[in-house]
Amino acid sequence: MKEIPNIDELLNSFIDGELSTRQLTEVQRLIANDKQVARRLGELKNCKMLVGSLPPAEAPAEMVSRIKASLAKETLLTQPAHGTETFDRRVGARHLLARKVVAAAAMIALVAGLVLTVYTIIGPETAPEGVLWTTDRPVAVEQWQPPVREVEVAVAEKPIAKPAADVMRFNGRLEVKTGDLVAVNAFINRAIEENGLSDYVSSEVEDRKSVYTINCSRQALALLLADLEYVWPRFDSPTLSVETGRIGDRIMVNEVSAEQVAGIVNQDNLNDCIKTARDFAVLNNMTLALPGKEVLAAIGSEAGHLITIPKPVLTSNERPLRKPAAQTEDGERVYLTIVISAGE
Amino acid sequence: MAEAANINIDDAVLVRQCRRGDSTAMQRLLLKYQNRIYNVIFKMCQNVDDAAELTQDTFVKIIENIGNFRGQSSFYTWAFRIAVNLTLNYRSRAARGSHSSLDTADETDLQAKEALKQFLCDESSPDPAAVAANKELCELIVKALMELDDPQRAVVVLRDIEGMNYAQIAEVLDTELGTVKSRLSRARSNLKEIMESISK
Repeated sequence: MKEIPNIDELLNSFIDGELSTRQLTEVQRLIANDKQVARRLGELKNCKMLVGSLPPAEAPAEMVSRIKASLAKETLLTQPAHGTETFDRRVGARHLLARKVVAAAAMIALVAGLVLTVYTIIGPETAPEGVLWTTDRPVAVEQWQPPVREVEVAVAEKPIAKPAADVMRFNGRLEVKTGDLVAVNAFINRAIEENGLSDYVSSEVEDRKSVYTINCSRQALALLLADLEYVWPRFDSPTLSVETGRIGDRIMVNEVSAEQVAGIVNQDNLNDCIKTARDFAVLNNMTLALPGKEVLAAIGSEAGHLITIPKPVLTSNERPLRKPAAQTEDGERVYLTIVISAGE
Repeated sequence: MAEAANINIDDAVLVRQCRRGDSTAMQRLLLKYQNRIYNVIFKMCQNVDDAAELTQDTFVKIIENIGNFRGQSSFYTWAFRIAVNLTLNYRSRAARGSHSSLDTADETDLQAKEALKQFLCDESSPDPAAVAANKELCELIVKALMELDDPQRAVVVLRDIEGMNYAQIAEVLDTELGTVKSRLSRARSNLKEIMESISK
């Protein structure tokens, strides 16, 4: 039979039921006609049966626990570091994404606030008629005088008078704290004097508190505020409250800057002053709420330049600019009380 | 064979659940196949400890790689391929240090040898239950089986003990169908000669 291995293959396939119908017929015919083939078939069948009769072996009862233990061991040896790394990477990625989203939202809010502020300040409809803006301070064109001349102070009424209730003009109160009250007082007094506002400012200086009551033109106050910008870094928590004309209603602008006070004061009318004050109040509060308050710090210090809005300059008028008078007409006068408290 | 076909349907569901991280499904697969895989491995290596170790390694590999199992073959043949490959590799390493012989067969009970001789010559179909009941006879058959080389023994075990068809054996051994046929033919022929030799 060894000489005809194909017969063996056919017989094995016959035993195992792996023949096609045609092959099956042929093999059956071969078996029927050849006793030697039939005997070989019997031997192979018996061989198959003997092997197949071996009793099955069963896996140890603790196989499942062994596999679990083996897996746990491999996990301890290999996967934990990898798994932890993956976990950490995922957590890190989530945190990074969250931080990016928060930062993007904060930047968008800040930009929106700045745009709103810029629009409010330099919008053409709010520009005071006849007032020119340089990059530093507002100047009244009509009251231009040669620079060599001293600034005329036209007093329409007795200074330091409280604004009448029916006169709709800016009325604010700036409260600050400082750790160097003496130096700040000295600076403010000097600024008042240099701007020719001595007659329009009343001051009450005590040991731990100074109160300056200013009643002058918008332009004069803007000039004074421009000077105060130099001493502003010594102010702690400067807060401006703006009267809205309604009893008990005032707008509080926290962490207000000198530029913001000037921006509020220099509006055409009280409504614009109030609107601008509201915008600044929102902006500053939003900035205070930002994580880290870095933006607030930036606005309060060097980035103050960032919100120094370039003012439109009258290019058609070739006359040089001059300092405005401290007072103009009664309707343009504003009222500001500065309260400086000694702090730490 | 019919059992294997039924398993395939259930396996697809269990494997899908395993890939989703369902440990219960994995445990069901494990319980379903542990004895069958252990039996095949044991019949190939005839060592209880080695068989347990190789079965354990097989399931660890299955669990670790179930995520990579794409279902191009059935889970059944995939699992047995892992088991057979691990066993053949292990046997290949172990064979370098040891060599078995038929000498021990001489110590086996003469009655068992006679029984084996009769079964081989029996023209009527012998009763498998009678074979299984004769422990000494089974030992002789196992000894004969262990005389085959590993690839031939693998084919015989997968066909006659596990009950795979030729196509499934070809998948498990990653070989051609014709190779399975010829290898099985040679294996049975050799096995018969070895048994005859033992029974003398």
